[in-house]
Amino acid sequence: MNDKIRDKAQQRQSLINDLTENIIDTTATLIDKGCDQELRDKMAAEISERINFEVNVTLNEMVTKYCPQKIGEQVTEAEERRFLRFGVNFRIQHVLMFISVIVLIITGIPLKFPEFAISKFIIIDIFGGLDNSSLIHRIGAVGLIIVGLWHVFYSALSKMGRKDFWLMIPRPRDILDFFHTILYFIGRRGSGPKQGRFSFIEKFDYWAVYWGMVIMIGSGIILWYKEYFPKYIYDIAREAHSDEGLLATLAIVIWHFYNVHFNPEVFPGSTVWLHGQLTESEMKHHHPLEYAEIVEAESNEIQAERQTTDPSEENVK
Amino acid sequence: MMKRTIHWLILLGVAAALMPTDDAAALERCLICHQKHDLFKTEETGRKISLYVDKQQLENSVHAERICTDCHIDIVAIPHQKEVNAVNCKRCHYSGNPVGAPEGELYDQYEHSVHGLAVAAGNPTAPVCQDCHGDHDIMLHDSTDSKMYRANIPRTCGRCHIDIYAHYRESVHGVESEKGNVDVPVCSSCHGEHNIARHEDPRSRVYVTNVTHTCADCHGPKGVASKYGIKSNRTETFEESFHGVAQQMGNKLVANCASCHGVHDIRSEDDPKSSVYIDNIPKTCGKPECHPEATVRFASGQIHIDPKSKESGIIYYISHFFLILTISTLAGLFIFIIMDLFRRAKSNRAKK
Repeated sequence: MNDKIRDKAQQRQSLINDLTENIIDTTATLIDKGCDQELRDKMAAEISERINFEVNVTLNEMVTKYCPQKIGEQVTEAEERRFLRFGVNFRIQHVLMFISVIVLIITGIPLKFPEFAISKFIIIDIFGGLDNSSLIHRIGAVGLIIVGLWHVFYSALSKMGRKDFWLMIPRPRDILDFFHTILYFIGRRGSGPKQGRFSFIEKFDYWAVYWGMVIMIGSGIILWYKEYFPKYIYDIAREAHSDEGLLATLAIVIWHFYNVHFNPEVFPGSTVWLHGQLTESEMKHHHPLEYAEIVEAESNEIQAERQTTDPSEENVK
Repeated sequence: MMKRTIHWLILLGVAAALMPTDDAAALERCLICHQKHDLFKTEETGRKISLYVDKQQLENSVHAERICTDCHIDIVAIPHQKEVNAVNCKRCHYSGNPVGAPEGELYDQYEHSVHGLAVAAGNPTAPVCQDCHGDHDIMLHDSTDSKMYRANIPRTCGRCHIDIYAHYRESVHGVESEKGNVDVPVCSSCHGEHNIARHEDPRSRVYVTNVTHTCADCHGPKGVASKYGIKSNRTETFEESFHGVAQQMGNKLVANCASCHGVHDIRSEDDPKSSVYIDNIPKTCGKPECHPEATVRFASGQIHIDPKSKESGIIYYISHFFLILTISTLAGLFIFIIMDLFRRAKSNRAKK
């Protein structure tokens, strides 16, 4: 079976090579006579690569559309181009964050519902009492504070962080996108809105966490150092910590888990948080505007390269 | 032989039934000596015990129908042949007794109580039935002269627990009790009756993790305290506080009702001597084992806060803000997810 596929791939490759040569030959008149062989080879290679790429992408799309059962085979075969969505730095932030948050939820939520047997089981039987669970909660808190500060510095200092933060800022378009989505849901539009790097859903997710971090860390520090605050400040912090803790937990369990785990498209779970990459089709489907930008930037780059190389060629001449 | 014995027994029984058993006469016979006020015996411990018996008192008591030897069973002759032992109430007061003496689990409870265990361990000062209930003057507990009458209990217990009685008498509960108010707690309301246990004993009603429930009898939602303008949510709000949560999680160091309000010397918050009087609160919070670093500022604010009540001020608004925020956010997300799923199902069907 694999041999067969390989044969087909080789066949396709030779076809593409022929096509490339054909193109080079037919456009020979357009190519400067002084163009040396090395440059021609480079050109041929690039044309070949682009055709190859387009063929693979088109094939993938066609297969996905008309014979989905072959999708697995074809995707591995085609080795789709991958786009980096989350860098290593960002991925580590996310891992540290979810470890901290899970620890905080497990040691925190039972205290909101102390009358439940499960809460007592978690705190008394699993952690061995409130003293231990409080200590673990504070360790989780330190983790979360580190992530918070890390992210602020990352957003301010790193190139990717700055770019992403800028793109994360809500814009009027997000409101339009939201209504567009609702119209799509109720069947008034044929498709959902075309999204850029961050959709309004992702922006909501991000800013919900931002708000949660500010409230939870702020109130948590007051609770931690309660002796330095008047009791009414402590009471406000406690109420906010308790209520926002529940809200954040529910939002994560319902919203975030739906988007990255239970959504039929990604069930049982997206792995982007691990490798940080999206395939080309995912890019086209979920972030078409970003994809278009990247492709445009790339073609601009190539053109710019050509423009910079062309004059030099003439100079040589 | 057997037959003759039975005959004799029947004869004796008939004779006994025919003989006039005059209780009054029997009592008079004992009172020949025991009506003297200066009749004493001296115990090994050096304590002098009056042996005077007040006939009137005995006739007013629940045991008016009994004769002396019903209880003092070891007295068979006058003068007494040997040392007279203490009366054992359990001789009549046991389950299924034929004389109709009130019975129940109380005696069992007593045997496992701090008092019963101390008696069993040989402590000569530990109380037996008579120490609390009286001896010749036992009356039903609803009789105002009874030692077990609600308002008399503090004095009854105070005979031994004199220091505690002194504290209690001045407390908000004690003062009202002295006035004859039957709503206020007396010793037994908190400590129990026959089942009194040491406060370190987890079975005790005043054990560190039980005391909240004990106070809740009056200060809880259905408690009598609301009659006196004291809010009935005191124990609920405690359980919602961090102290209450920690206690429910089995922490025994955390503050309970008594930690702040006192034990026997509980006073009204308006009483300058109270540990929860506004000026004393910082000191109460700042106990060395609690928040030694507490300042006056630390202690400023309401204590029993109910987020559901408008009186809680900003807490009420914060809690409602989050309630609305949570409900609206989750409802929105839910609707969004449901719509998303429906749309997906629809497009999947269309593809097929």
